[in-house]
Amino acid sequence: MTAPASSILLAAIAAIAGVAVLRFAWSKARRSAALNGLGWLLLLAATLVAAQSAGAWGIAIAWLCASVAALAILAVAAATSPRGRASVSNRRVRMLAEAGEPRQIARRIATFLIVVVAGMAASIALGIAFRAIALGAGWSEADANATAFFAVPVIWGILSFAMLMQERRAQLLTLAISGLTLVPVYLSGAW
Amino acid sequence: MRLVPHADTVKRALSAHAAIGLLGGALLYLVCLSGTLLVFYQEWQRFEQPDAPEMTRIEPAAAQRAVETMLASERGKPATTHLYLHLPVEHLPRATITTDHEAVHVDQRGNLVEPEENLWSEFLYGLHYTLNLPALVGITIVGILGAMMVALAISGLVAHPRIFRDAFRLRARQSGGIALSDWHNRLSVWTLPFTLAIAITGAIIGLATVTAYAIAQGQYGGDLEAVYAPIFGEEGEADPAPAPVPDVAAALRYMEREYPQVELTYAVIHDPGTAGQHVQMVGSHAQRLIFGEYYAFDAAGNFEGTVGLADGEIGQQAAASIYNLHFGNYGGLPVKVVYAILGLALTVVSATGVYIWLGKRRRRGVDEPRLRAAWHGVVWGAPGALVLTLLARLTIGNQAPFTAIFWIGLAVAVAGAIALAARGESRVLAPELSA
Repeated sequence: MTAPASSILLAAIAAIAGVAVLRFAWSKARRSAALNGLGWLLLLAATLVAAQSAGAWGIAIAWLCASVAALAILAVAAATSPRGRASVSNRRVRMLAEAGEPRQIARRIATFLIVVVAGMAASIALGIAFRAIALGAGWSEADANATAFFAVPVIWGILSFAMLMQERRAQLLTLAISGLTLVPVYLSGAW
Repeated sequence: MRLVPHADTVKRALSAHAAIGLLGGALLYLVCLSGTLLVFYQEWQRFEQPDAPEMTRIEPAAAQRAVETMLASERGKPATTHLYLHLPVEHLPRATITTDHEAVHVDQRGNLVEPEENLWSEFLYGLHYTLNLPALVGITIVGILGAMMVALAISGLVAHPRIFRDAFRLRARQSGGIALSDWHNRLSVWTLPFTLAIAITGAIIGLATVTAYAIAQGQYGGDLEAVYAPIFGEEGEADPAPAPVPDVAAALRYMEREYPQVELTYAVIHDPGTAGQHVQMVGSHAQRLIFGEYYAFDAAGNFEGTVGLADGEIGQQAAASIYNLHFGNYGGLPVKVVYAILGLALTVVSATGVYIWLGKRRRRGVDEPRLRAAWHGVVWGAPGALVLTLLARLTIGNQAPFTAIFWIGLAVAVAGAIALAARGESRVLAPELSA
């Protein structure tokens, strides 16, 4: 069964209208909660109509329409942008040492190993823990295994960001807690 | 309630964002660039071999004849474990048989016509999927890059509290770094749903083997296939005793009769020519993200059931949706074009991120012309090297060493850019020293 074209069209129009309303709302000198709300509401409505009529496929189509509408508006903004020179943020990100500063190679390598290598292991441990929880909750083997596949990269993305925001001791604690989730999983026989 | 993050959080998030982006750097850029081009994988294959026979459908009897001829032609070679018959579909209206040894195009009457020649498309596929590295290492690295993109999206949002408020502010003609920064931030915001979709699906594809290996060690006695079996179905029991060629035509006729709304993409024969052989039809469903459903048949062409990718467990449907959502194969040419535009935007985001970082350092007095030149080399050298491979395809042909041409071309571009920058530095320094 395919969804009627009218409902997909409706979702697409709502998505494009949502972006247009947000454009208008954010261009105003003072925030308008009503216009902001309307913009987001239209995007939500587009998502719901699309999901109702054509599931995940419909949502994907609706959001592609929203993205294209936004890029079209951006293209206009780029084409009509006035020439000029303004000051830009020079916030330092401390990725590399600057003149006279110690390079701290060992610290940087340790951060890489903790976030990337150990972070990957921790994410897999958490993915396996999620799988065990899913099985424990009565989910099918297919759903549980798929949960692990989906969870690992999402957890790793979140975990790596979180660990880069932390001091070293907190990073190690995060890793330890993530790894320890395997203990009950192992003891329960789910791994 | 305070929704704006604390200044210290913003500062740390920006550091995290830069650290992840610079670590991914060139590889992330290459994956974005190759992925943008790979959206048109089917179209590239037609471009590479425009004279291959095309058709809107192939008769079941012709398909059967092609399978029998192919298997007969491979007598004396080690038995193929799988035979794939690609069936004509809208964007690749060709019938092609692939075994463990070769791939051959089939005409409408079922004759084997000419070898498939699509090694440039396969090179591009390999570049995006594995960075042309050995499969497991390469796909895992690309999976890691996908997870890094997720982290970049999160850190980018936290590091720029006004990113939504400024979402339509694009000062493209402002100098002093504003334009670059605006392009990076605006494209990031409006490609965010797309970025998250392709980053997560790409990371799932890339990290699946490592994850499955870990699960298999604990739960399935190290059997990797057993991890996937509940989702994608099991391989049949092998029986090497010889058997006649299976009745693919019967399976095709059954599908046409019972599932006319399903567009068949492949007929797969597992262990052809053995008593353990079985036939699988892969059929795509309109207005679905799933790549298709598996329809199982025995060697006589009797229908045995489906795996459940279309209507089984949620996990099965979700897993089967990853590929199309990642590659944009779910809405014909319009969706492919949109994916290419958004992919290009993401490529620009990955390139401008490093330029923004270099620009900030320069404005603080840390000028690094060689580092900047190296990044120029990557950003312009990679598409340049891809064009070289395409020229090699057109002039040398299917057997041109595409991987070597690309990577050597890219290395030369980077080294050349650095050398030019070094020459420029010495020209500036020479008068100063002589003075």
